[in-house]
Amino acid sequence: MKQGGETAAKATPGPSDTPAPVHAADTTPAEAAKPAVLEEMVHLIVFRLGTEKYGIKIEQVKEVTVTPSVTRMPRTPAFIKGVANIRGDIIAIMDLEERFGIRPAPLSPEANPNITYTLVIEAKDYKIGVVVKEVPQSLNLAMSKINKTPAFLQDINIQESYIEGIAKVGGRLIIVLDMLKILTSDEVQQLAG
Amino acid sequence: MKSREEEYKEIFIAEALEYYDALNRHISVLEKQPQDDHTLAEIFRLLHNLKANAKAIGYLQISDVSHKLETAFSLIRNKELSFSDEVVTVLFDGIDMLGDLIHNIDNTTAGDPDPVLLRNLDIIVDSLADNTIELAKVQRYHTSKNLSLSDLIYIQIKKLDNLMNLVGELIIDRDRILSISRELDNDELKNVSSHLYRITDDLQYSVMDARLVSIGTLFNKFPRIVRDIAVAEGKVINLELAGQDIQIDRNILQIITDSLLHLVRNAITHGIERPEEREKKGKPATGNLSLAARSDRENVLITLTDDGKGIDLKQVKRAAIERQLISAEAAKGLRDMDALSFLFEPGFSMAKEVTEFSGRGVGLDVVKNAIDSIGGRLQVHSEKNKGTTFSMRLPTSIAVKGALLFEVAGIFFGIPLIHTDHVIAMDIDELHEVGNVLVADIKGETVTVVYLHELLNAPEADMRLGDKSRLKGIVQNIIVVTYNNRKLGLIVDKLYRQQDIVVKPLSKPLDSIDLYGGVTLLGTGKVCLVLDVPAITRNFINRR
Repeated sequence: MKQGGETAAKATPGPSDTPAPVHAADTTPAEAAKPAVLEEMVHLIVFRLGTEKYGIKIEQVKEVTVTPSVTRMPRTPAFIKGVANIRGDIIAIMDLEERFGIRPAPLSPEANPNITYTLVIEAKDYKIGVVVKEVPQSLNLAMSKINKTPAFLQDINIQESYIEGIAKVGGRLIIVLDMLKILTSDEVQQLAG
Repeated sequence: MKSREEEYKEIFIAEALEYYDALNRHISVLEKQPQDDHTLAEIFRLLHNLKANAKAIGYLQISDVSHKLETAFSLIRNKELSFSDEVVTVLFDGIDMLGDLIHNIDNTTAGDPDPVLLRNLDIIVDSLADNTIELAKVQRYHTSKNLSLSDLIYIQIKKLDNLMNLVGELIIDRDRILSISRELDNDELKNVSSHLYRITDDLQYSVMDARLVSIGTLFNKFPRIVRDIAVAEGKVINLELAGQDIQIDRNILQIITDSLLHLVRNAITHGIERPEEREKKGKPATGNLSLAARSDRENVLITLTDDGKGIDLKQVKRAAIERQLISAEAAKGLRDMDALSFLFEPGFSMAKEVTEFSGRGVGLDVVKNAIDSIGGRLQVHSEKNKGTTFSMRLPTSIAVKGALLFEVAGIFFGIPLIHTDHVIAMDIDELHEVGNVLVADIKGETVTVVYLHELLNAPEADMRLGDKSRLKGIVQNIIVVTYNNRKLGLIVDKLYRQQDIVVKPLSKPLDSIDLYGGVTLLGTGKVCLVLDVPAITRNFINRR
């Protein structure tokens, strides 16, 4: 909580063996900082689920880390991979591909199949980890690039209200998720069922 | 370490001094606003408490003076005595005398209270009608008082909770450091970490100690409660209390308060018979109710025993059949212990009539849930016409628990020791497939046994709890757990050690999964899941 101001720095993958985050070509942080650009900016952590790119606003991400060893918890839904010890906190690790029924895609050739990454999401009174297979990237872009009313939502498995919008960056689409909405949904709240 | 008695005395003195300060404050207010009923009531309450406390601990002079003052103020409250100048002086003097007595509690040379003053107090109390008797002048022997602050502070339980949580975190990290220092094999590091071990241990026990209260704080409320219920129900009851000095975590005591009240009500309304009925049965007309606490290893055992009519097992079975908890066929062969466990089913009630004090739809399941929630154990024994005993085995502390660690399918688990009966290794041939479950003869008792791996990990559709071929190896390690008068054997893959663990509650969204009571971190940094025995037992029963 206190580290709020450091989030941006922490959002880069921690361990040194991972490549530095690649900024999207069209907007570098330097550019974003130019006083000339008065437009409202948004900072996203971008990752891949299936074949599509997804993003979460950096305010919702406390840190990104290499996934530590995860202890499976029997009799929990498949999208809960288990619990892990992250800096002394024992938090649940969630797999969004499982959660939304997204078919996993093959890894890109440069990715290390033995390492996954965990985005630690900070909700109001707890934390949860979201596991992704490839190094998440950090991206700064203008708010205006996020289209609030995408017309093709019926093609994806994710409920409309979980999606903040769709960003178009260099010909690619990034689906921006609202993690807090996903976490407060009944489905996650009532795991026991 | 001070003795308990010493500690009580210190608490008494600190409280008494606080009362004394408050009395001074209130009487000064009263002097300016003699009509202030609220202030009067407050003075009255303070004196009354002081009198009772002093009497309980044996400071009779203090209780005596308090009593005289209390009487005087009750007269003022009833407008039988006016709060006039003369009276005010005597009352101020009286309160000062109380202060002196409290300050000099250990000072045997201080002498008796001033007889002149005592007489003055008597005069204002006794000579209501006749105000002519001269009040003797009292030599004020202290014009300047020593100002001192109390040795006792009040602290919110929340702050102690927070402290306890922090200590828990510290212990987890300590165990990790200890394990790392062993791996690194550095002497200096080993020395420091073993010192750290001792300090955190001391810290843990100090914090736990700060949270302890004596069970008497709860037990001593019961004589009055029992009396009231007994009068309303037309019963004659003698209540025996024992073990009031036993210490227990304040939050645990808080959680069981309602449960204990519920059980006591039940015992009086449904357990103990009316005097006539008792005499007909050849029992003494006065029913006996005993509420006792004692320390038992790391736990506290509270028992509530009545010598009433006992629980009618036939009626329990009938009610269970009516509610379709069991078939009439199965009920016949049901053991008494198993029949009694129906009492704890949600909403189970045998009360035919609702009385003022019992049978308002709050069942024993509520009691059981409260005790489960703190990791305790509830048992009931009952004999027809002899009586019923409820035993609650409670942990002394919430955060740190003794647990048995084991492994199933590569995952570390722990079970709180409070639920484990014993551990046994058994040859696979000694397990028998009966119906859909496995049973074994354990110490002369037929116990249902379940392979934990199958219960936890087999796909729901393909779960075969009564299939021996699912077991691995020849020798099976079985942990026998008890819950709700039922024994259940859990087959685990590997059995480890017994260890004190700090149970961390699961955070959202996992907290809704009742199979786990929490998690803990082992010294190796590995996560260990703490199984909730009540939930495992329920889960198993529901599957059958």
